[in-house]
Amino acid sequence: MKVFIKFFTSIRLAIVLLIILTAASVLGTLIPQQRSLEEYAVRYGRLASPLVRLQLTGLYHSVWYLALLALFALNIIVCTLTRLSPKWRKAVRPHILTEAKSLLALKVKDRYKKSAPLSEVKAELEKSLASSGYRLRTEAKDAEVHVLARKKILGIFGSDVVHLGLLIILAGGIISGLTSVRKELALKEGETLPVPRAPFEIRLDKFTTEYYPDGSVKAWKSAVTVIENTAPVLAKTIVVNKPLTYRGYSFYQTSYGWDWDNPAVEIWSKKKSDPSFLKKFKLRVGEKIALDDKDQTSIAVARFIPDFVLGEGNEPQTRSLQPNNPAAFVEGFQAGEKVFSGWIFANFPDMDRIHAAKETDLSFELKGFEAGQYSVLEAAQDPGANLIWIGCILTMLGLGLAFYWPPREIKAVLEESQGKTEVIAGGIAAKSRDSFRSEFEKIMTSARRPK
Amino acid sequence: MNESTLFVITFILYILSAFFYLGFLFSKKPNWAKNGSALAILGLITHTAALIVRTIESGHAPFTNMYESLSFLSWASVLAFVIIDKQFKIPKIGPYLMLVVIGLVALASSPLMPKQATPLVPALQSYWLWLHVSVTLLGEAFFAVAFITSLMYLAAKEPDKKEKWDSVSYRCVAVGFPLFTLGGLVFGMVWAYKAWGTYWSWDPKEVWSLITWFVFALYLHTRIVMGWKGKRSAVIAIIGFLAALFTYFGVNYLLAGLHSYA
Repeated sequence: MKVFIKFFTSIRLAIVLLIILTAASVLGTLIPQQRSLEEYAVRYGRLASPLVRLQLTGLYHSVWYLALLALFALNIIVCTLTRLSPKWRKAVRPHILTEAKSLLALKVKDRYKKSAPLSEVKAELEKSLASSGYRLRTEAKDAEVHVLARKKILGIFGSDVVHLGLLIILAGGIISGLTSVRKELALKEGETLPVPRAPFEIRLDKFTTEYYPDGSVKAWKSAVTVIENTAPVLAKTIVVNKPLTYRGYSFYQTSYGWDWDNPAVEIWSKKKSDPSFLKKFKLRVGEKIALDDKDQTSIAVARFIPDFVLGEGNEPQTRSLQPNNPAAFVEGFQAGEKVFSGWIFANFPDMDRIHAAKETDLSFELKGFEAGQYSVLEAAQDPGANLIWIGCILTMLGLGLAFYWPPREIKAVLEESQGKTEVIAGGIAAKSRDSFRSEFEKIMTSARRPK
Repeated sequence: MNESTLFVITFILYILSAFFYLGFLFSKKPNWAKNGSALAILGLITHTAALIVRTIESGHAPFTNMYESLSFLSWASVLAFVIIDKQFKIPKIGPYLMLVVIGLVALASSPLMPKQATPLVPALQSYWLWLHVSVTLLGEAFFAVAFITSLMYLAAKEPDKKEKWDSVSYRCVAVGFPLFTLGGLVFGMVWAYKAWGTYWSWDPKEVWSLITWFVFALYLHTRIVMGWKGKRSAVIAIIGFLAALFTYFGVNYLLAGLHSYA
C-alpha cells in the first residue's frame, strides 16, 4: 500500500502518464473520430464493434482518456504541493547561517582580507551586492557575521506556476465540457430565431458574400440584430474571425447556403421557325404562366435542382446544395393537357431534353435563378473559456520564470581578528553559470577594492 | 527586385554556405566556417527581404500556403542557428543544418508547391495568423536545431564534446518549448476560439501539437527532476522534433481535419 501511494505521488507516475497520454493521443489521430457506425463497419469490418466498445472511436471523450487526464491532474497537484512547502520555506525563511568550508567547496567562490573593522567591510560587501540587485539577509553567530544575498528568487516557483496554469486549463476544459452550449442557427434573411437558453433572439437582416476579382470568396457577412423583449438592442455585422458577443453568448459565421424550397427561375423561350421570337419570363417552381396567345401554350417549372446529377435508376437528384449545375424541369400545356416536358440546364444551354407528345417549335434556356440565401451562425456560450485564458497566462508566466528568471544566491561569512576582516564567499546559480561567474567576480572586485 | 529573384539568390547563398561549412568539416580550418556563417547571414538577409516583398505584394502574412510556410520555416531555422551559433560557437552543426535548410527551400521551390499568392480565405483573415504561425514556426526552428545537436551528441565520442552538445540541445529546447507553447497552443487556442467559437476541437493538428508538447514536457521532466541527461535526453529531443515535423507536415497530407491550410 505504502509503495502504491509512493508511486502514485511520484514524478515517475507523471512520466508514465505522459507516455500513455501521448500514445493514446496518437492512436486517436489514426482512427477517424466520431464517425457513423456504418463508416466504421466499412472501414474496419469485424474490428469495428470492439473499437467502438473500447471507445476508441470517441477516444478523447472516452471514460478512460478522461480518467487518465484526471489521474494526471491529481498527480500534478500532489507532486507540486509536496515540492512547494520546502521551496516556500526556502524563499521565506532561508538558512542564513552557513559553513565557510562548504562555501569554499563551491565552484564560484572567493576569499579576501581587509585591514578594516568588520562593520566597514560588511557595509562595502553589502553595497556591492545590492548594486547588482541582490536582496540581503544577515545573521550574527559568535564572532562571525553571515550574509545571504539572493535575487530572482521567484524563479524557483516557475514550474509551480506552470502546473497551476495547466490545472486551471483542465478545470476550464471540464467546465466547458459540462456547461457549454453550442447551436447552429440557420437563418434566412429577415428571419428571427430564439437563442437556446438565452433571454434574447437574433434576426438576420442581410447576408452577403463578397468575392475577390478572381472569383474566390473574400468574405461572408451577416448583418444581424439582437432582439430582446421584442425591441432591437444591438446591430452588428458578423464576419469569420469577428464574432458578435452579447451577454456571454458569441455568434460565429460558420456556414451558408441557398434556400432551394421556392426558387424563382428565369427562362428564355425561342422559336426554331421564327428567329425574331424571344420571350423572357421569370416564374416560381409550381407556377404556371401563359407563353403564347396564338397557340395558347402555357408553361410551368415543375422542379429545380441546384446541382443536377443522375442518380440510381437515372433518377435526377442534387449532388450538393451549391448551384454547381442548376437544372429546371419545364412543362408545356395546351388546353389543360401536358404537351411537352424536359430538363434544361443553365451550364449547357444546347442540351435541352424536351420530350414532346406533339411536335413543338419552342426551345428553352435556363438563364438564371434566384433563391433566398440563409446564413448559418453558431451560437456558443462557453463559461470555461475565461479559465482557459487565465490558465494560459499563468502557464506562459511560469515558463518565463522557470527558464528565464533563474535564481542566484551568494553567501558570505565575515570574521574579524586583530583589526583585519576576512571574507569567504561562494555562489550558486541554477542557470547561465558563466554570466553568474562574471557577475560574482565583479561584485567581489568592487567589494574588496580599498577605499 | 521581386520575390522569386530574391528567393533564388537566397537559395544560392544557402548552398554556398553549406559548401563552405562542408569544407570546414573536412579541412577543420576555422576560416571555412567563418565564410559559411557569413554566407548564411547574407542569405538570411536576402531571405528576409524576400519575405517582406512577398508580404507587400500579396498584402497578407507570408505563410498562408505550403510554399510560403516552408520558406518561413527555413528562414526561422537559419535565424535560430545564427542565434545559437553566436551564443555557443557551434559551427560544426553548420553543414547539417544548412543541408536541412536547403532541403526545405528545395521542397518549397519544387513544382509540387503552388507558389502563386492567392487572396486570403475568410478563415485566415486575422492578425492571429501572424502571431500563431510565426511564433510556432520559430519554436519549431529551435526544435530543429535541438534535433541536430542531439544527433551530434549521439555521434560524438569525447565526453567534453558530448557534454557541450547535451547542454546546447537543452538550451535550444529551453527557447523552443516556451515559443511552441505560446504560438502553437496558446495563440492557436485563442484564434480557434475567435474563428470557430471553440478553443479546442481535438482536430488532428491540435492533437499532434499536444503530442509534441507532451514529448518535450517529458524531455524537461526526465531531465530536471529525474536527472536524465545525455543519450536518453537526446533520443527524446529527436522524437520531439519528429513529432513537431509530423504536426507541421504529416498531418496535412496524411490526416484530414479542420486545419487544412498549411
